Amino acid sequence: MRLLPSQENAILASPMVLFLLALLGFPVVLSIVYGFSEASFQSLMSPKLIGFANFQLVLQDSAFWDAAWFSLRFGLITALLECVLGLFLAVYLAPLIRENGWMVAVLIIPMIVAPAMIGLMYRLVLHEFAGPVPYYFYEWLGWSPSFLSTGMVFKTIVVAETLQWTPFAFLLFLTAYQAIPQDIREAASVDGTRPWRMFWKIELPQMMPTLFVAGFIRFIDGFRVFDNIYTLVGAGPGGSTTSMSIYIYETFLRRGEIGKAMAAAILLFVVAFAILALGQSLMRRRR
Amino acid sequence: MMLSRKFLCSTALAVLLTGTANAEVTVLGWPGGPEETALRAVTEIYNAKADLADEDKVELLFTSRDGFFDKLQVDLAAGSTAFDANLIATYSIGRYAPFLEPITLSDEAGSVFGDTVLSTMQFDGAQYGVPTDLSLHFLYFRKDLIDALMADDAARTLYGDISEKYLGERLAPKNPEEWTWRDFAANALYFSQSVNPDSPTRYGTVIQMKNLLFNMMVFHSLPRSYGANWMDNDGNITVDSEAYRNTLELAKMLYDAGATPPDSTSYEYAEANAAYSAGQVAAMVQWNAAASDLVGAQPETVTQAPPTGPDGRFTHIHGLGLGLNAAAENKEGARAFLQWLSTEEAALAYARADGAPGLTPATAGKLAEERPDLVQVGDYASNYGFVMNGGTSENALSVYEAQAKEFTGYWAGTQSLDEAMSNISASMTELLK
Repeated sequence: MRLLPSQENAILASPMVLFLLALLGFPVVLSIVYGFSEASFQSLMSPKLIGFANFQLVLQDSAFWDAAWFSLRFGLITALLECVLGLFLAVYLAPLIRENGWMVAVLIIPMIVAPAMIGLMYRLVLHEFAGPVPYYFYEWLGWSPSFLSTGMVFKTIVVAETLQWTPFAFLLFLTAYQAIPQDIREAASVDGTRPWRMFWKIELPQMMPTLFVAGFIRFIDGFRVFDNIYTLVGAGPGGSTTSMSIYIYETFLRRGEIGKAMAAAILLFVVAFAILALGQSLMRRRR
Repeated sequence: MMLSRKFLCSTALAVLLTGTANAEVTVLGWPGGPEETALRAVTEIYNAKADLADEDKVELLFTSRDGFFDKLQVDLAAGSTAFDANLIATYSIGRYAPFLEPITLSDEAGSVFGDTVLSTMQFDGAQYGVPTDLSLHFLYFRKDLIDALMADDAARTLYGDISEKYLGERLAPKNPEEWTWRDFAANALYFSQSVNPDSPTRYGTVIQMKNLLFNMMVFHSLPRSYGANWMDNDGNITVDSEAYRNTLELAKMLYDAGATPPDSTSYEYAEANAAYSAGQVAAMVQWNAAASDLVGAQPETVTQAPPTGPDGRFTHIHGLGLGLNAAAENKEGARAFLQWLSTEEAALAYARADGAPGLTPATAGKLAEERPDLVQVGDYASNYGFVMNGGTSENALSVYEAQAKEFTGYWAGTQSLDEAMSNISASMTELLK
């Protein structure tokens, strides 16, 4: 008996689906139950269903909207910077990397470090009295910026995130750039196309799907940022560096409002899912 | 037949051994510091006692210090039986009390620790833990700098000018033993290069202003000395008071004047200690636990109780201790161990092994040569120690969290004092109702 391709696909995918259901299904169901319940650490075992009250609480909480705005700004700015820098590096270094493949391994080192470690590292590196960066500023200029002061902290964490994750965008763009058929470039050269026009009119359009995917992944990652910010500056003075993930963490563990935290997590999931669906639909239209 | 007998014997042995293992008292301690070293030392002494049954021997369990209380909260709420006794702290007793059982201390506990220290482990009139370590605040200052200031007439004049400009009154340099908080502020301004370019230190003080609950504990020795409290005796929230307002403004003035590093809004314990140790800070208020690091870090560093205010001299105190898990499998064994920990024998052994118990002057006197710092800790705890009304309540931790968010927001300029006061009053009314 010969199986249809769709049946084959279902059978082949079933182990992974079962694994994911077992691993993720239970916590997801539990989160949904708590999201619709009055639950604290005292009533963890006996949550009381209260409908959408937690969602109402979350949506009325100004701290939630502050966190959402912070995450949106952070996600967009870092995704944009990482893509621009990654694209520049990929195109600029491509000829060099063709001859020296080992350079890729060096360039992607920041990605290997755990984000929490990056936060701790900057906490030391930027410390006015113990960090090398302010030390050399004082040594050479007699003055140093206060990297973690209120006015500077957002810029500092954007730079830290960008430096860590630009290699990810770079890697994707390099692969896409190298995959452009050489004969297209040669044909354009024969027709007298200048390098800038070649990049703008031929190479960049070829790389657009990758650019879109990279930007999208980096935005999602930036939007849900937690580790590096939390270890570097925590929730920030007055909650000024509270991302959505930090808001959920603090609501859950620090304030013990489990139902409210889960409602916020569900909202975050719904928004992320909607953006993902929108992105996929745009991708399909492009094809 | 032979086989089944062997099988039965080995099964019975296995069950017995398993039973023995389960019956041991497992204690979850505070990992990675002198508290762990000290707990290990006293546990060895306890386990070596000849009259102690094997099933009551103590086994220690340590997890990571990062997020310890968050993990503990989840474990306790889930009814974990992985430990029989666990670490508790003054500010978390109320939150954990539903998952703990009160304990009985030894008859000598009162004379060993004193009532103030024992009260750090009480909630709703019941004793939930045996105190092990006591935390309070010292004023750390550079005696060499203060002496030089007091001996120089031109410096004294400049000090008076600075205090007049920033504090609205002409103050003269004094010995730190006589300092009020306004003297502390004047000293901080004088030793800051942003105010006095000839200052030998870059900053006069370092205030830990990160949005972190422990930083609020360090701060609130100051408002308490101006008469601040969280609640009055009728349960009304009294945080929006002149005492809180004046002292929050004093801290902000120091921050805005550059008397504490601009990055202070991201500073906690380690960063503040690094600033002092680098020799760029003249005086600071910090936990007593920092004494071993700070006293040797700079020449002539001296410790004493925090400055005084209109209502007197105060230091926040809180204790770490061990309490009984309500879901414990070996409650009796755990009770016996906790009771023994409250004896003089255990407290002295704990102190000798680098722990920091809060002891009465009579008990601390027995360690005067080995641990002179404990005499100072015991003295300050007895005379100046305080716990805010509501400081051991179920939501005490959340109150500190809320204060950290609102007060740091005011210091950093993201909101006005009125907004901070309005927000914190609303939060505390909700949390302490």
